[in-house]
Amino acid sequence: MAARAFQRLPSAPAGRILALRLVAIVLSLFIIAGVLALSGHSPVTLADLVLRSTLGSRFGLEDLALFMCPLLLTGAAVTVCGTIGLWNIGAEGQFYAGAIAATGAALGLHGPAIVLLPVMTIAGILGGMAWITVPTLARAYAGVNEIITTLLLNFIASLLTYYLTTGPWRDRISGAQVSTQRLPVAIPEMWGIVHWGFPVAIVIVIGLALVLSRTRWGYEIRIGGANPEAARYAGIPVRLRIISVMLLSGGLAGLAGMFEVAGTVHRLQGGMANNFGYLGIVVAVLARGSCLNVIPAALLMALILDSGIVMQTQQLSASVVLAITGLILFMIAIGDELAHYRPVAGTAPKGKAS
Amino acid sequence: MNKQSAPPGVAPGTPPVLQLRGIGKFFPGVIANKDVDLDVWPGEIHALLGENGAGKSTLMNVVTGIYQPEEGEIILDGYGQAFTAPQEAIRAGIGMVHQHFKLVQAFTVAENIHLGWDEAPRIASPAVMEARTREISERFGFPVRPDARVCDLSAGEQQRVEILRVLARRARLLIMDEPTAVLTPEETGELFRALKAFRAQGNAVIIISHKLDEVMEISDRVSILRGGRKVGTFNTADCNPSMLAATMVGRDIVRRNMRARPEGAAPVAPDPVMQLRHVSVRDDRGVETLRDVSLDLHGGEILGIAGVAGNGQRELTHVLTGLMARTSGEILLDGSLVDRADPALFVQAGVGHIPEDRLRSALAPSLSVTTNMALREYPYPPIGTHGLYDAQAAGVLARDIAELAQVSIPDFAMPIRNLSGGNQQRLVARREIRIASRVLVAAYPARGLDIGAIATMLGYLTDLRDQGVAVVFISEDLEDLLNVSDRIGVMFHGRLMSVIDAEAADMATIGLLMGGRDAAGTQAGATQ
Repeated sequence: MAARAFQRLPSAPAGRILALRLVAIVLSLFIIAGVLALSGHSPVTLADLVLRSTLGSRFGLEDLALFMCPLLLTGAAVTVCGTIGLWNIGAEGQFYAGAIAATGAALGLHGPAIVLLPVMTIAGILGGMAWITVPTLARAYAGVNEIITTLLLNFIASLLTYYLTTGPWRDRISGAQVSTQRLPVAIPEMWGIVHWGFPVAIVIVIGLALVLSRTRWGYEIRIGGANPEAARYAGIPVRLRIISVMLLSGGLAGLAGMFEVAGTVHRLQGGMANNFGYLGIVVAVLARGSCLNVIPAALLMALILDSGIVMQTQQLSASVVLAITGLILFMIAIGDELAHYRPVAGTAPKGKAS
Repeated sequence: MNKQSAPPGVAPGTPPVLQLRGIGKFFPGVIANKDVDLDVWPGEIHALLGENGAGKSTLMNVVTGIYQPEEGEIILDGYGQAFTAPQEAIRAGIGMVHQHFKLVQAFTVAENIHLGWDEAPRIASPAVMEARTREISERFGFPVRPDARVCDLSAGEQQRVEILRVLARRARLLIMDEPTAVLTPEETGELFRALKAFRAQGNAVIIISHKLDEVMEISDRVSILRGGRKVGTFNTADCNPSMLAATMVGRDIVRRNMRARPEGAAPVAPDPVMQLRHVSVRDDRGVETLRDVSLDLHGGEILGIAGVAGNGQRELTHVLTGLMARTSGEILLDGSLVDRADPALFVQAGVGHIPEDRLRSALAPSLSVTTNMALREYPYPPIGTHGLYDAQAAGVLARDIAELAQVSIPDFAMPIRNLSGGNQQRLVARREIRIASRVLVAAYPARGLDIGAIATMLGYLTDLRDQGVAVVFISEDLEDLLNVSDRIGVMFHGRLMSVIDAEAADMATIGLLMGGRDAAGTQAGATQ
């Protein structure tokens, strides 16, 4: 058997990827069920519980929407940056910066919600942008790798949040630990505990998809990401486009922080980013560079997160939940890779092979 | 030719270091070498001369074990050999120094010399390796600094490290591919002195070159390849540059005069649309890649640029299209000075550009055919209005271009890299011709096309000329150049040697200019 029976294609059709991902998810669920059964849990009871407390009940759906909201925005932040070929690993830090800026505006200014909320929104976006400014300029003018710079700023933002919530902005009213006081205003709720940030995030993601596919700017970004040399050849100012895309990316992550602080948590808390920035990278990878795909990818990620919390209430440790998350994503990655392979037509005589 | 007896100076009965007998090497659809016989004797410097694509590199890759020949045999010191890997050729005493050095930039000279060498000491401290390197360097007469990092060395010094790497492994046959392309005249002199010393010890050198003067200066004998076959081997003393040039390029040229204008074609415009005045370009290492080039482009005229690839054609193309900033000199578009290198400015002025490496510089391989076809016209209606991008209008444009280019595309949404190289080239050419209202700069537009497609491509160029566009046609194919160009300029070492009238041009003159000599036979270029 000299001829190979399979051939790797450079691009895989979307339908195949989707099908193989479903297979991967189902397979990993079976593996998880097997392991849980061996360790003395009843997979059926657990599955029933998880389904009822996520997709199967109104409260579950509300929780899902709240998880999805920041993931949509951080996922979009990473995706839009990836379109021009750059990796924003710093959505976590920009999320904090946006949350800090919005909190600062809410605590420092006084006024009715109708005035304060737009100010907080703008502050959140600007905070995220400010946090990515140095990596942006370093990338555009000095060619400094943005992966490193954006990543390192995450730790600074996180520690800054701890400092503010235990120091100058600590809660002096109710004495909550590592937290500011409750913000005077909140994003209004539209459906149970789901606030208006959720539909806005969906609209933003759809809007971004349209901007990338239907504007000159989006076209230039796509060319710049696919082949910077061709972009230069076409007279596209690649440096300016890099700056605008990275600032937009930071702004989106900052907005996610503002929504979280003003819509869901209502306080600035240490550790409140909850890895949403890093999970945005996972969402973007699952979305494979398409903004519209960010919506189902964020849903899947929210589902995994939510199920994990439910399982933790059933005496499964946080590490087991993390391992389950990793297994599902790992299987999906394998499925994506396998989607590239095609059996070579005409080879491998069937009689011999089987 | 191919005499079996040893040349004078070699003891009778001594076999050649290397004998090739009827070497044939084929790639799908291409005969790279066929029936090549070659003898290289101890104590000789043997030059291998030929145009691009004549089969020199393939032949040397066969000798060094990178390729295995389909036909013929390789005989070393009288014994038949078959190399299945480059390491075997090195063990047999054949060493090659490539044009593009294969050194580890971050390592020191001593580390590079010892890299992958089975004689390197097992415990190799920097001090030991540097001492060994110093000893090797003195033994062979190539001075190097053992503790210097390769990235800090000049091209000439890096080449010395490459040569030492080969010599340290006891090479008796040294093969050098275009060794002087990256050297200054002083470094060239040093290299030649060292090669002569190497020869004096009874070793042999094969030197691949297209510079006639160097071949005349350094070699004892010269073999000329053309179209994959050997034309002949000559004693250098019996040769002169013009005879070598004529033999090198002198295949039967079919002159099809495409220079004649049809009725109603635009005449040559009296005022130039673009002018270069004393334009020079330096690369990152400070080497002058374009030297003092002055030329005028007139509408309704095709200016052919001949020359061996790598003599400044890329830089000229990039300066003419705004992709590269000049170091000195002036560029005028319609008589007004262009003060910055901005491709967008040139596109707006109606300058089209078919680049040499289309997949790398003119296309985004992973994006759709439609997206790629819109690359030049997306800012303008109907595709770009009010800052939007109309995908539907782009689709219409892509279909138009594909139809004109006679490329059938099953799915315009598929990535353009799925198309063949020839089809990509046709699409790029058509896309650029659409926007080339004033100037078209076409670098090797016929590369990768079959004969019929080449004729079509040349037809595109003459059509543009008839519409009054100034065409710059860069090619290594003299036949194509002579058939369509009105004037032909020859590039050598970044210099535009001379611009001659194509009608009066003869092959010998162009061959001499390509080899760095002007028509009167005096040397120009490198030594000035």
